[in-house]
Amino acid sequence: MNQMTDFNAGQPQPMLRVSNLTHRVSLETDTLTILKGVNLEINRGESVAIVGRSGSGKTTLLGLLAGLDTPSEGAVELDGARISEFGEDERAKLRASRVGFVFQSFQLLPAMTALENVMLPLELAGIENPEARARELLGRVGLEERLNHTPRQLSGGEQQRVAIARAFASDPVVLFADEPTGNLDNRTGHAVSDLLMALNREQGTTLVMVTHDEHLAARCGRQFSIEAGELTEPSPAQEAAD
Amino acid sequence: MAAARKLMSVRRDWRERDVRVVLAALIIAVATVATIALFAGQLQRTLVSSASSFLAADRQLEAENGREIPSGWLTEARSRGLETGRMVEFSTMVFGAENFQLVSVKAVSDEYPLRGQIEVQEDPDGARQLVAQGPGPGEVWINPRLLRLLNMSIGDSLEVGNRNLRVSGLLIREPDGGFRLSALAPRIMMHADDVASTGVIQTGSRVEYVYLFAGSDDALEGYYRWLEPQLEPSHEWESVQDGETFSRSLQRAERFLLLGGSLAVLLAAVAVAVASRQYSLAQRDTVALLKTLGVRSRGIGQLYLRRLALWGITGVVAGLALALPLFWLLTRLLSELLERPVDLYLEPSALAPALLTAVVSLFAFAYPPIRRLRNVPAMRVLRSQPGESGREAIPDMLVAIIAVFGLVWLYAGELGLVISLLGGLGLLLGILALLGWVLVAALRKVRGGGNAWRLALVGLYRHRRASLSQIAVFAMTLMLAATLILVRTSLLDDWQAQLPDDAPNHFLINIAPDSVGDVSRFWSEQGHDLEHLYPMVRGRLTGLNGQPVKEAVSKDERINALNRELNLTWMPELPQDNEIVQGAWFNPEQTRGVSVEAELAERLGLAIGDELTFTIGSSKVTEPVTSIRTVQWDSMKPNFYMAFPPGGGLTDMPATWITSFYLPGDDKTALNAFSRRFPTVSVLEIDHIIDRIQQIVQQVTQAIEAILALILAAALVVMAAVVSATLQDRQREGALLRTLGGRQSLLVRSTMLEFALLGGFAGVLGVASAEAAVWALQFGMFEGEFGWHWQVVVPIPLISALVLALFGRWQLRPVLRVSPMLLLRRLE
Repeated sequence: MNQMTDFNAGQPQPMLRVSNLTHRVSLETDTLTILKGVNLEINRGESVAIVGRSGSGKTTLLGLLAGLDTPSEGAVELDGARISEFGEDERAKLRASRVGFVFQSFQLLPAMTALENVMLPLELAGIENPEARARELLGRVGLEERLNHTPRQLSGGEQQRVAIARAFASDPVVLFADEPTGNLDNRTGHAVSDLLMALNREQGTTLVMVTHDEHLAARCGRQFSIEAGELTEPSPAQEAAD
Repeated sequence: MAAARKLMSVRRDWRERDVRVVLAALIIAVATVATIALFAGQLQRTLVSSASSFLAADRQLEAENGREIPSGWLTEARSRGLETGRMVEFSTMVFGAENFQLVSVKAVSDEYPLRGQIEVQEDPDGARQLVAQGPGPGEVWINPRLLRLLNMSIGDSLEVGNRNLRVSGLLIREPDGGFRLSALAPRIMMHADDVASTGVIQTGSRVEYVYLFAGSDDALEGYYRWLEPQLEPSHEWESVQDGETFSRSLQRAERFLLLGGSLAVLLAAVAVAVASRQYSLAQRDTVALLKTLGVRSRGIGQLYLRRLALWGITGVVAGLALALPLFWLLTRLLSELLERPVDLYLEPSALAPALLTAVVSLFAFAYPPIRRLRNVPAMRVLRSQPGESGREAIPDMLVAIIAVFGLVWLYAGELGLVISLLGGLGLLLGILALLGWVLVAALRKVRGGGNAWRLALVGLYRHRRASLSQIAVFAMTLMLAATLILVRTSLLDDWQAQLPDDAPNHFLINIAPDSVGDVSRFWSEQGHDLEHLYPMVRGRLTGLNGQPVKEAVSKDERINALNRELNLTWMPELPQDNEIVQGAWFNPEQTRGVSVEAELAERLGLAIGDELTFTIGSSKVTEPVTSIRTVQWDSMKPNFYMAFPPGGGLTDMPATWITSFYLPGDDKTALNAFSRRFPTVSVLEIDHIIDRIQQIVQQVTQAIEAILALILAAALVVMAAVVSATLQDRQREGALLRTLGGRQSLLVRSTMLEFALLGGFAGVLGVASAEAAVWALQFGMFEGEFGWHWQVVVPIPLISALVLALFGRWQLRPVLRVSPMLLLRRLE
């Protein structure tokens, strides 16, 4: 095990700590500031929703939290590791062992079967017997009959269930979900979010979810809202209500 | 509908990557096929005109009967716009300062040569120069060796019959230094108007009148049609194509170009097929949307048909715009290689194959998958539908294959070529099906891990459908390219083998039977062993199975061998480069029988057991045909139509002996001592002919290499098109792999490995099927022998693996540069 996991073992440490996070993108003529000095702390096992309108910067924030991109300014610490200072490969290694993703558009590879899609992160992490673990997870999301179907042969809800199985495959400590029900109808969306929540509780995973669906957000332990790149602290009233 | 149509402008199309690939494939197809067709025409004309100098004209008319042709024949030729010239060839004794010497005289008119140039030297130490006219009246140019033999200097006078001619130059090389045994060395050249005053030519003298003609192909053809009915058997009409050695080189080069063009057609078809399939897959959502908006199936069909037509026009125009400068460039290159200006010769009909290629590629290959778009259900808008199983494409593929092979057949005019290529492709697809099965069976068990090798193998298995179809396209492309490289290699090897550096370059003719031993000893002492000496008896073939031969043979056949005396020989052993095709060679005790050269035997319709009668002087000899054998006419060794067994029919006939041997340029002075010691033996120096042949071979080789480079470039573009067809999927996968924690180096290594494996497989397959196709081609078209070509078999798969690995790496570029987050969003 490396140092990151043993970081201050025994002490309650935040899973994610973000300080003064700013992100800018250069356009052809000028520079656009997408995130403005965001500060945030999320504890282990917490479930957090970040709500905001389209273009508010929530998905960018999620990408930076997950180490998919590096911020222009500020720091991101994930499980004690200051990933904003990591190189691309170090971040990749961290993602392989500790981070899971669920995307709005599922992001399943069309050439692969459901089983192969779930096996992918296991193979990348070099885990032995990836097939057994993948079968077990697909069974857990109710797709044991559809192991050898390709995404094209699956409905949207089924595809998202495969994506959830894939997200939990490598036993992540933190799961990032980007509008996980955004492409699904209400009923399917409910079923999928039930599954996500249930698995999250079972595995004790920290969940960070970006959504504009207030019902879904309400199912999370804490909610943040983001507008024009600025993150608003959750009000105590809301916290108490949960 | 109108709005929809408006959407479909070429400009909008151009923004779609798949359309760009279809258009690029089409443009390259049109450009390659047009360039090759134009250049092949140009090359042929240039080579023929370059080879024409071997006749010193475009056509020659030889009169072997010792009589001039009617003057009306030349008048007619001139009235048809042809240039004409005249030569008289005979042998005579000349007298120099103190010696006599037998020489072969060529007396030429002012117009000689109509094609090519004469190389002369003003004095033995002077510079060599090329001139366009022979010696003037009263002058003579002589072979440098003769100058020494006769102990003369430039400016001295040479006695030819009753005339004294001033030696005004040394004759180094004549353009039509043809290879005729009757042309006894050494040579002198004089003016035709001086011949009468020498008094050498008397009634019954052995003399040959040769008339030269040059002009356009049409005028020459028209003249020959006019002339033909009036020709006598002793008249011989010769064109460059009739000359054995050059015609073979030319024919092979022409076939190579045709093959190159055909392969360009096939490559183009493959590229268009791949790109348009990709395009039609990408268009399914658009079609579903149009249907939702109320456009009917028929409307959709028309819409896409119109787009195809638009692409066709764009492809043809742009392709031709590219072909013309390319053609100009190649012609410039050719002109530089030949070190002389080449007239640009643009044959509009050469563009027809390019247009036809565009139409056939579009309608046989691009249209079927696009036509099937009509069947896309509108429901697709709401829900992704299962894709095509591939089975509905089978009849389309059959139509396409028939169309493209019809096109190749039309283009190359060789059924053998079509069948060879079809066979090679069939083999390729067969192996591919097997490989697909093996791939699925063997790789199924491979399961992940962080190792690049395992990841690459897993990748191959996961993309098995795409991998197999990519391997199929790469292998086909490589097969076509490898076929061309192999044919080129074996063509060149073949030529090289025919004319090795130590190919015999001197003939000794007219060796009296009692001096054979002395001649052999003379050259052994000089360090040049004479390998084979053959007796030579001159005689005519006059009878076949008791009938006069001219009656027994079909009138349609114009057989020169029947019009002149043949060189007959006897030999105990079959020469190494001859091969028995029917019957058996003489056994040691055998004294009856004759062995006949295969082509002559075929034209005469001879079979084993036919009785041949030869008239030799006043005697007749009749022998049965006991074997038929092939002869390497261009081996520069004595070759014979008819061979008898030792002690057979020729035993008591008057014979002289002949041999050929290699004499390096530095040892040529030995010829002077030889000629002094054996004045009656004629030495025929053909070293300069060999130089010319090697020069032509080199020219053709360079032209072939230029075409090869063009085709290989086209092949590379096809491969790039195929790889880029899956670009988006690959990039999405790369981005996702990175998101899920795959390290960059792992991604790079596994992708490069996966592509290298793909390229390696395709390379091995392509080379194997190319060898099969070449094996078939070799038999049918290039008359060579087949062997494995390790110099191609080994590097091609390696190069293909390397190139594809680099393509794979190149595809990954955006995946590595941009954050995975951004890429995933962009690809959504």
